[in-house]
Amino acid sequence: MFVTCKDHKILTVAYYTFQALLKSRVLFHIILIGLLLLFISFVAGEFAFGIAERVVLDFGLGTLSLSTMAISILMGAGLISDEIESRTIYMTLSRPISRVSFLLGKSLGMGFLLISNVVISSSLTLGFYIYLGGELNPLIFWNILYTILEALICLFIVMLFSLVANKALSVIFTFFLYLSGHAVNDEFIEKFSLSSPMGFLLEKYHYLFPGFHKLNIKNFLLYQKDLEFNFLLKTLGYGFFYLLALVLLVCFVFERKDLD
Amino acid sequence: MLTLKGITKIFRGHFLDSISRKRGLFTALDGLSFTLGEGEAVGLLGANGSGKTTSLRVIMGFTKADRGEVLFDSKLGPMGRDFRQNVGFLPERPYFYPDLTGRDFLCFMGALNGMSRKGIRKSIIEWSERFKIDFALDSKIKIYSKGMLQRIGLCSALLHNPKLLILDEPLSGLDPIGRKELKDAIREVNRQGKTVFFSTHIIQDVEEICEKVIFIEKGKLLYEGAIDKLMTSGESFYEFKISKRSVGKNFEWNGNTLELEDFLIITVSGEDRLAFLKKLIDKEIDIESIVPIRSSLEEIFYKVKNREGRICL
Repeated sequence: MFVTCKDHKILTVAYYTFQALLKSRVLFHIILIGLLLLFISFVAGEFAFGIAERVVLDFGLGTLSLSTMAISILMGAGLISDEIESRTIYMTLSRPISRVSFLLGKSLGMGFLLISNVVISSSLTLGFYIYLGGELNPLIFWNILYTILEALICLFIVMLFSLVANKALSVIFTFFLYLSGHAVNDEFIEKFSLSSPMGFLLEKYHYLFPGFHKLNIKNFLLYQKDLEFNFLLKTLGYGFFYLLALVLLVCFVFERKDLD
Repeated sequence: MLTLKGITKIFRGHFLDSISRKRGLFTALDGLSFTLGEGEAVGLLGANGSGKTTSLRVIMGFTKADRGEVLFDSKLGPMGRDFRQNVGFLPERPYFYPDLTGRDFLCFMGALNGMSRKGIRKSIIEWSERFKIDFALDSKIKIYSKGMLQRIGLCSALLHNPKLLILDEPLSGLDPIGRKELKDAIREVNRQGKTVFFSTHIIQDVEEICEKVIFIEKGKLLYEGAIDKLMTSGESFYEFKISKRSVGKNFEWNGNTLELEDFLIITVSGEDRLAFLKKLIDKEIDIESIVPIRSSLEEIFYKVKNREGRICL
């Protein structure tokens, strides 16, 4: 029940944020969604003669990614803005804790929830996949790791928007960036001439906005079964540094925000 | 304990207004300065929208002032940096994490203050019993009534034994019993040596709890000083309720008189009250009651405010 960390207030905030989320029965709904997905995977697998385990894996990992993203964006939008609107933040920030520590603690607590969702849903999917005779491939775990990274990037994007716009707009903007981050890939950009304004803009798109397509290795996992370790590491590095830049930006904005 | 020096806070309207810097500007605080002494109980009085809550938010660092500075006594922490360690704060209409229990919430707040487990447990027992909220500590906060929220908020503000207690409208929305209990508790805390600073627009609350008052209007300081001086300033009136039967025919007095079935209610100015009382005694008239007429906040405002907007006593 107690977490008293004199010098680890980030962990204290994270613990109680996770506690509050758990007690709001989010995890119960996550398990329910996981079981529903398992059932749908089973039904889909029944229709895929000979490749049932591949369909189950495809379906399971796809829905895992979508459900994690939905939780990240929908709950992340209110993570800080709800605290400001309901004035709960005044109770916390009137204590000897910096705004940055508070923000990181809240994000970490939310991160625990996202990881819990990934662990529960992927365990159900992988359990069923192995039951159908599927083989474990290290790429499955890389894919899960990228899903977590993608969800954390979405979490910080929606938090950034929620500090400057209202909740509904934050969710819409983030969903748009999530979809465009997947849609604007190398194949898509090649369709446009680089000399055209659209081609020029699309080429520069990922200098600023996240390239979520880079974190999507599901096709390699399902059809090629292999990827160079160097490529995987570079992709991880890209995601990690993008996340780090976002964390710094969100901390910068939150530090300067008037909590009216 | 705390000094505000020339605090100015201007709120800007929407984005385009803030660019043009002309339209949509609202000055919430206008060069506000005052001082809180150690061990004092000070009330921050003002009508709605006068800048009370903004002042408290600036003090707590939730909102940045455009001009001026807030200086904390070194007793609140070295160079005032760790002042939050020694400050208890309760915002107006507080809301808490609805899915945590009251005990979880207090543990959370205590942990943020760096208190030990034992210290938190002891403090929770002490304050929850004092504010009569111990029975609901293991229930989720979302089922708490407004009074219960206020009590758990005060528990959390006092949990870490702060030297300065800052409360934003702590008595608003409470029933009469709840108000009395909280007022008693605030007085007790002040008697223990803690500095209490709270905002309200109800003058009676300040009268009952504080010895000093800070009066603000439109973000400007109108008055800072002893509350007695403010209350006794201007013209005062008394209502004498006397028995109709004991009043003779030759009894005359210039004053507002209200005639009831058995009684007469005569309003007398403060200057004349002793002379009138003497006359009643000489004439052997039965006195039912003598009640000072309490001025409302607005009446005091307009009675003592001069043309420049400052209160002069």
